[in-house]
Amino acid sequence: MNRWAFWLRRLVAGAVALVALSLLIFGATELLPGDAVSAVAGPTATEEERAAVRERLGLDRDAATRYLEWAGGALRGDLGTGYLGARPVTEVVGARLPHSLLLAALALAVTVPVAVVAGLAAGMRAGGPVDHAVSAGTLLVAGLPEFVLATLLLWALAAGPGLLPQVSMVPLGGSPLDAPEILVLPVATLAVSGIAVATRLIRARTADIAATPYIEAARLRGVTGPRLALRHVLPNALGPAVQALGMVTGALVGGAVVVETVFGYPGIGRELQEAVAYRDVPLVQGIALVLCAIALAVLLLTDLLARALDPRSGGAR
Amino acid sequence: MSPAARGARVRARAPARRITRARVCAAICLLVVGIALLGPLLAWASPTEQVGAPFEGPGAGLPLGTDFLGRDLAARVLHGGRLVLGVAAGATVLATALGLVGGVLLGLMSERAAEPVMRAVDLLAVFPSLLLLLLFATGAPGSDLAVLLAVGLACAPFSIRVIRTVTRQTAAGGYVRTARARGDSAWALARYDIWPNIAGTVLADAGLRFVAAVHLAATAGFLGLGRGAPAAHWGRMIRENLPGAALNPLPVLLPAALLTAFAVAVNLLADHAAARRAGPAGPSGAPHA
Repeated sequence: MNRWAFWLRRLVAGAVALVALSLLIFGATELLPGDAVSAVAGPTATEEERAAVRERLGLDRDAATRYLEWAGGALRGDLGTGYLGARPVTEVVGARLPHSLLLAALALAVTVPVAVVAGLAAGMRAGGPVDHAVSAGTLLVAGLPEFVLATLLLWALAAGPGLLPQVSMVPLGGSPLDAPEILVLPVATLAVSGIAVATRLIRARTADIAATPYIEAARLRGVTGPRLALRHVLPNALGPAVQALGMVTGALVGGAVVVETVFGYPGIGRELQEAVAYRDVPLVQGIALVLCAIALAVLLLTDLLARALDPRSGGAR
Repeated sequence: MSPAARGARVRARAPARRITRARVCAAICLLVVGIALLGPLLAWASPTEQVGAPFEGPGAGLPLGTDFLGRDLAARVLHGGRLVLGVAAGATVLATALGLVGGVLLGLMSERAAEPVMRAVDLLAVFPSLLLLLLFATGAPGSDLAVLLAVGLACAPFSIRVIRTVTRQTAAGGYVRTARARGDSAWALARYDIWPNIAGTVLADAGLRFVAAVHLAATAGFLGLGRGAPAAHWGRMIRENLPGAALNPLPVLLPAALLTAFAVAVNLLADHAAARRAGPAGPSGAPHA
């Protein structure tokens, strides 16, 4: 299979997956259509008012029609209008998503170098003191739910000593970069949990490679230390490491909801959490679809990147 | 002392220390589970009755102080774990049942027939589990059953994958092929040839799923999904009491500490079990099986 056929197949598979996920999103949120009506019309609404609301929201038609309409709109870049405040969903996503992407990018920028260095250092001498320290540390952190980690960081750095702001308020009309101190705690939370997961994966892969005959041969030739790690082990560990980081990026999607909620950071995750709390079904569906598309795109990219970085995939396959 | 003898002593000492650590971890797990399950019976006060000012420190009659509405914190901590661990246990049962049925069936199927189903399973595994939770909570607001279903479905793909792998390994064995050739039914095959060989893996897998399920169930409470106030819930308590952490940190720290201790202890136990199974020491590595 040549390279283009491979790309094309992956793209088609990704598109099929997105359609399947959109069905899951729509099905899960529309299981009980009555709830959206009572949420909008209020608990004291009469039956006529409820019927009027149902008609206005288009909920009187059958689910298949509504799904096709929603999916068709999504293809044209129109995700409908939220119940609350009647904001177009695409507008909300457009306003909030960049904030979350900034958070994720900064967290990745911290995670990647730390995880690669720690994973290599631990995996090169499996069972040594560095390995013990790194493995124990990552095991402890990987066990913490993200909201506990966020709360502990908040309590230790912001609430008590007051070193950092407790609430990540973005200046009106500005971007989060105008007040960089608000980014520290959210990024730190995402990075710490990401580092714990990624380091474990990279360490395991490095330890496997470090035990192979060709590494032993390199050692016997007198190659040691950073040169051995960077020139001989890293190229073969990169592919799996990229895939591991792809998984971490996927986890950032879920982590963003928690972290943005804890710190009150105005990103897509907090918007989603609030939409769920107010049962704003179109907003929930739209944000979920966008997040799924992003997760699939990241997965596709990391797949391609891992393939390109794999030293064995030089020729045609 | 010769180097070899010294090496032997070090090796002999290491397992003993590891086993002590494993016992401490097991004790912590049991303690947290005990508080969660038996807490409501031990609690002497109502978890929802207002007994003092908000965020009071520990004092007479209120051993841990009060929470953000002036309710007895000790009673709330004792009541708050049952829902978290209950939902997590239900979700684990669901995930393991799905994993067992799906994994064994897919493992016994031909590669070509199983492939499309595994694609769907992988897709569900990629889906962020928190997103699944939020979607189900939108469809059925305030329902603990929806949280349980979402957590179970989020955990199931991993169970299916693990159980399918061990089933395939077992099914490649000669006695399974003999049983097939003899004309045994698929049920008999699964029950008498496959199950005895995969039972250990299934149980270990259920343990790992349980930790993940506790994470998700606690996070669900923290995000306000499932049954709402005034029921006590360790995850939600952290959120509710965060604003007053400077006045009385206990309402935030205690639930966080319980959840953390449980997760870390289970992870260390799982690590210990994995090391013992994979350990090169063979017989000396598993004296306390």
